[in-house]
Amino acid sequence: MRRLLNSLRDGIGFDTLLVILALSYLMVFAGLPLIYNIVISFQTVDVFSLGTLVHPSAGVENYESIFADRQAATVLWNTVIFTLGSVALQFTLGFALALFFHQNFTGATWIRGLFLAAWVMPGLVVGVLWNWLLSGDFGVINYVLESLGLIDEPVFWRSNPETSLYSVLIANVWYGTPFNMILLAVGLSSIPEDLYEAAELDGANAFQRFWTITLPMMRATIGAVLALGVIFTLQQFDLFAAITQGGPAGSSTVAQYWSWELSFREFDFGRGAVISVLMIVLVLFVSLFYVRSTKAETQL
Amino acid sequence: MTPQIELVDVQKHYGSFHALKDINLTVPKGQFVALVGPSGCGKSTLLRSIAGLERISGGTLRIEAQVVNDLPPRKRDLAMVFQSYALYPHMSVRDNLTYALRLNGVSKAERAKAAEEVAGVIGLEDLLDRKPRELSGGQRQRVAMGRAIIREPKAFLFDEPLSNLDAALRVRMRKEVRALHDRIGATSVYVTHDQIEAMTMADHVVVLRAGVIEQQGAPMELYDRPANRFVAGFIGSPAMNFVPGALTGAGTVRLELPGSPEIGVEMGGEAGRAVTVGLRPEHLIVGREEGAKIPVTIGAVEQTGSSCYLFTEGDPEVLVTTEGTSAIRAGDAVSLHVAPGHVHLFDPKTGLTLRG
Repeated sequence: MRRLLNSLRDGIGFDTLLVILALSYLMVFAGLPLIYNIVISFQTVDVFSLGTLVHPSAGVENYESIFADRQAATVLWNTVIFTLGSVALQFTLGFALALFFHQNFTGATWIRGLFLAAWVMPGLVVGVLWNWLLSGDFGVINYVLESLGLIDEPVFWRSNPETSLYSVLIANVWYGTPFNMILLAVGLSSIPEDLYEAAELDGANAFQRFWTITLPMMRATIGAVLALGVIFTLQQFDLFAAITQGGPAGSSTVAQYWSWELSFREFDFGRGAVISVLMIVLVLFVSLFYVRSTKAETQL
Repeated sequence: MTPQIELVDVQKHYGSFHALKDINLTVPKGQFVALVGPSGCGKSTLLRSIAGLERISGGTLRIEAQVVNDLPPRKRDLAMVFQSYALYPHMSVRDNLTYALRLNGVSKAERAKAAEEVAGVIGLEDLLDRKPRELSGGQRQRVAMGRAIIREPKAFLFDEPLSNLDAALRVRMRKEVRALHDRIGATSVYVTHDQIEAMTMADHVVVLRAGVIEQQGAPMELYDRPANRFVAGFIGSPAMNFVPGALTGAGTVRLELPGSPEIGVEMGGEAGRAVTVGLRPEHLIVGREEGAKIPVTIGAVEQTGSSCYLFTEGDPEVLVTTEGTSAIRAGDAVSLHVAPGHVHLFDPKTGLTLRG
């Protein structure tokens, strides 16, 4: 007690206290659930046994059953398409916008700020918004495509198994692009102007300056943005809940949504946990890549 | 012979701010020209205009007789050494040096050869594979120089390249840069705020103030015959003393100092005309008998070993420098002498030099 008083009065050991507080928070609210999640992925847990502390062991049965599930291949494929498609498009559009607003024309900062409006919206709201846009009967997107003569009859984006995944993907690209843009804009503005001037005097045209100065100087930022993009896309749940609910007939189900369905729709907590564990392993590798990228950033 | 760089009535406006006014400057091939002036005088703007990094608002800019007003920097074939060096941080020294060659499509083997050659010239043979962040300030400076000379450009532009180095290294690099200029027969335009750099390195010094060329000429011409009070005060270290006075009409000027001393000048002029008298600290001699006398009391003494700075009491304070050490102490009354040829006279209103 005296030591605590001393620490408050003199600040001695205060840093240790702060570290302990932060670590305990992480342990209680992130570490324990994570470990519990791994544990139940090897157990049989249903609604009746959920309340008990000890569950019957299932060995690797849950894992075997997930891989044997006929939905597994679709979900895996959907997850790959959704993640790679979202990250690639968000990054490309975000980079293009960042470069565009880096030209510093009148009002550039204002318009760039408006783009952030998309990013600050809750995912469910974005989902509802895109439900309206993508609506088959009176959606704006169908109207525009029909007016341009690109389609003859309305496309039912969300209820067509061919397009359902892409309707969520489009919404997710719209949702995540501003975040990519801002991070990349920060990276762009950290490149000293005189490097471009030196390159210009060395004879580099705009395209050469982009390839030999901008891209290599942005390597660390790009690595970080891509890694974060993968992580955030794997976390995307709200849009699926709002737009397709994984359907129709599971055609737009991705891993994170499947995990939720198994756990909270079918109350098969063990199998739901299996998917979480597999995703944690994947995210762990992506995070390693992210940490390496940010390290390289500080070294430059 | 056509000049390498020629500026005729060059103007630069930033909105309503007139940054460069009627700049006329000719840089012959092989010459080392220094642009010098206080900060904000427009010397960097002038250099960046030559480089093409700034667009001039009026006048004509020629490089090798070709008008380049609208030519982008990459087509002007000039090399620039930046104050920050602007080395490409993600490239090795070798890649930094050969960047321009790579853009020009020079083969890898030829680039490697050129890099070795230039590294020999600037003394960086062992550091070719390092990244800029692994180099010292002086080494980075050399890489920046090397990157410029590898291209054999039409002219070299230097933007205060030595100002980030420590004092001792700066003095050494001063000589090296000039020696390099002579060895490769380059044409150079060198921006600095340090008049000693300008005086020691350049063949031709251009003094700028508020976007106007106050005077240009050989270094010693500027020192001996400054066109106005600003140039007189800017060139020379320590700076010239300025004392108000009045002409007597009899080949002397009366100084507004205690005792109203009169000193000889090389011009007559109308008696009673108010003038500003410029006296260089190194031209004032303490206690010799011939010549006119200025009685003063020493207020403060600073000894550096190689020279001694004597500050007089009263207003305006006059600084006198003597070589070596001095036995004079604060409070001593001494007499100063100056040769008539070393007395500069300026119009108090316009600041222009008065000549007899």
